[in-house]
Amino acid sequence: MAIQPGSESAAAVAGQEIHQDTTVKWFLLGAVGYFAVVGIIALIIAAKFVWPQFLGSIQYFTYGRMRPLHVNGMLFGWLLAADMGLAYYLVPRLCGVKLWSEKLGVATSILWNVIILSAIVSLLGGYQKGLEYADLPTPVAVLVVIAWVMFGFNIFATIATRKYEQMYVSTWYLMGTILWTAFVYLTGNFATLLPGVTGVNQANLNWMYTHNAVGLIFTPAGLAVAYYFIPRCANTPLYNHKLSMVGFWSLAFVYVWTGAHHMLHGPISQWLQTISIVFSVMLLIPVWAVVYNFIATMKGQWHQLGNNVSLKFLMSGTIFYLLTCFQGPMHSLRSVNAIVSKTDWIPGHAHMAVMGTFSFIAMAGVYWVIPRVFHTKLHSEAAANWSFWLFMIGGLGMFTSLWLGGFWQGWQWNNPSIPFIDTVIALKPVWMVRFFSGVLIFSGIVLFFYNIWSTALGSGKSQPAPAKAEGRVYAA
Amino acid sequence: MLHKTDSNAIWFVAAALGLFFIGGLLTTVAPPLIDKSWAKPFENHDPAKGPTGKLVDYTAQEKRGYDIYIREGCKYCHTQQTRTLASDVKRSGWKGVDSPVSTPDEFVYDYRQTFGTKRTGPDLSRVGGKYSGQWHKAHFNNPRDLVPGSIMPPFPWIANNPDELAALVAYLQTRGRAKEWRPDNDYEK
Ligand code: HEC
Repeated sequence: MAIQPGSESAAAVAGQEIHQDTTVKWFLLGAVGYFAVVGIIALIIAAKFVWPQFLGSIQYFTYGRMRPLHVNGMLFGWLLAADMGLAYYLVPRLCGVKLWSEKLGVATSILWNVIILSAIVSLLGGYQKGLEYADLPTPVAVLVVIAWVMFGFNIFATIATRKYEQMYVSTWYLMGTILWTAFVYLTGNFATLLPGVTGVNQANLNWMYTHNAVGLIFTPAGLAVAYYFIPRCANTPLYNHKLSMVGFWSLAFVYVWTGAHHMLHGPISQWLQTISIVFSVMLLIPVWAVVYNFIATMKGQWHQLGNNVSLKFLMSGTIFYLLTCFQGPMHSLRSVNAIVSKTDWIPGHAHMAVMGTFSFIAMAGVYWVIPRVFHTKLHSEAAANWSFWLFMIGGLGMFTSLWLGGFWQGWQWNNPSIPFIDTVIALKPVWMVRFFSGVLIFSGIVLFFYNIWSTALGSGKSQPAPAKAEGRVYAA
Repeated sequence: MLHKTDSNAIWFVAAALGLFFIGGLLTTVAPPLIDKSWAKPFENHDPAKGPTGKLVDYTAQEKRGYDIYIREGCKYCHTQQTRTLASDVKRSGWKGVDSPVSTPDEFVYDYRQTFGTKRTGPDLSRVGGKYSGQWHKAHFNNPRDLVPGSIMPPFPWIANNPDELAALVAYLQTRGRAKEWRPDNDYEK
């Protein structure tokens, strides 16, 4: 017997009224706003690959400052904030109680906005730690830690007061996210700065963080959201509870070992490289367990994809997850790594993880949650559908052009008689395709932003949707 | 046992952190204890054991240049590691002589690791002494003047600031210089 985010039940209808969801609204509307703003930065840096002089002589807009802003803005301003907002939505519902404190939640959201705005100013000003993904200057990183403790406390306190003893998979994944993030973030942002930590040692700590920012922050947060919304949107029970345990506990054990695979063939101890390769291949276990569970849940339900935008995002996210997590272990094999490492293939891979998988899943959640917390209908289903196709076509254009280009680039690098500059010039058409794919993706972001904000702002005016309860049922 | 974690949050927290810390500690705290070369600066005076030389700490000016390298995000386009790949030692090489591969003991004074993840531009681990200060000045002012087809951004605010330019060039000229491996010792200043 497993607990499910289920359909209407008497208890659930009664439970509906208890949720205030103020924190959810604050976090999600902010996240969607930053998605649009940082989308502009993304487009600018894609343009700089094609027109290197573009905005080039203004120091605040130089590539080396815009790129960390793009990365940190997307990771913390959009994706993590969206996942946090969705956590504030689903944990109270899975526990059958109110959020422990809406006041604390709103305060966390305000602090989060302070963090993102200071990040924008400091990164463009060139104030950065110089550690990838941990670029934010230390005072801002301290604020992140404080905000994370406020978030974690609120969620754990909600879980502690839960009405249902057994916890659903999403609850585990969110608890895991909160705990692991704390240590992963401290390692990358503070342990790296301890006296005497330099060179390879610092890089190793940096990689433990960077790798696990994706593996133990965005992965469990995104999977928590997907485990909730796939059954919820398709209105069907999750396929198998035991399988979800296999996926979760193997993730908890395996992921953290793999950081050094980012320095294969590089100046880091060989034995550490080998360990990271072995564990990277083992990553296939948690991934396949999760993907099988999602796909099997959809058995007999695929027809729903046609008119359900959230499900479209969720299931394409699942497929991208399968692909990106197949690429990862393959890149860690020494022979493959010798070709693709440091090439444009890698941003193709990274975008399939962070955009294709986890942003798709978060957007599915946002499209579902915003109309419900504002007690209204989505502003435009047609625009939502368009946004999906823009993301999909733009995303595929970007991934495939970067893979093909990157593979070709790596092949040329391995022939030292080709001068480096020729390998730069050869990639120009690829970067052009990437830029125009970026234009499509950005149009998708704009539609998403417009739709979500119009739904929120117009909620007073339009007809309230029939109150649809969201509770839980116990399914066999 | 893991079934308990389903309904008991304390069990859950213990298991989630326990499993995480096994790999976490073994891959972060243990390696520098096992592999001493991570913290011991390179020094070799015996040609039989490979390239000779000694890694020295940065001067104040070189540190300023290092900070500019961080500030401008050069590391998002440049790596600093000659990997154990045949093509890497050739590309980092000089006049047909292969460069030595990068080893951990060459980076002990790097207070911000600059190994990098992406080679939009060439690797810089052996760029010290490859070009003159004059070349760097013109290159920072507009890379396309010297290398047609380059997509490196212009850095006029550095090229036109003698202090910053001198510091950044001083830093670049240290790259890869701990190991003496060029046959004629012909390094540009
Ligand atoms: C957008 C990516 C990008 C950024 C940012 C960038 N570069 Fe470059 N760099 C390149 C490319 C591409 C080349 C190869 C073409 C050329 O020589 O201009 C290059 C070449 C170089 C070279 C010559 C290397 C050789 O062996 O010929 C040096 C030195 C250099 N860059 C230093 C820097 C420094 C210092 C910074 C930061 C202030 C920087 N670069 C920022 C892309 C970049």
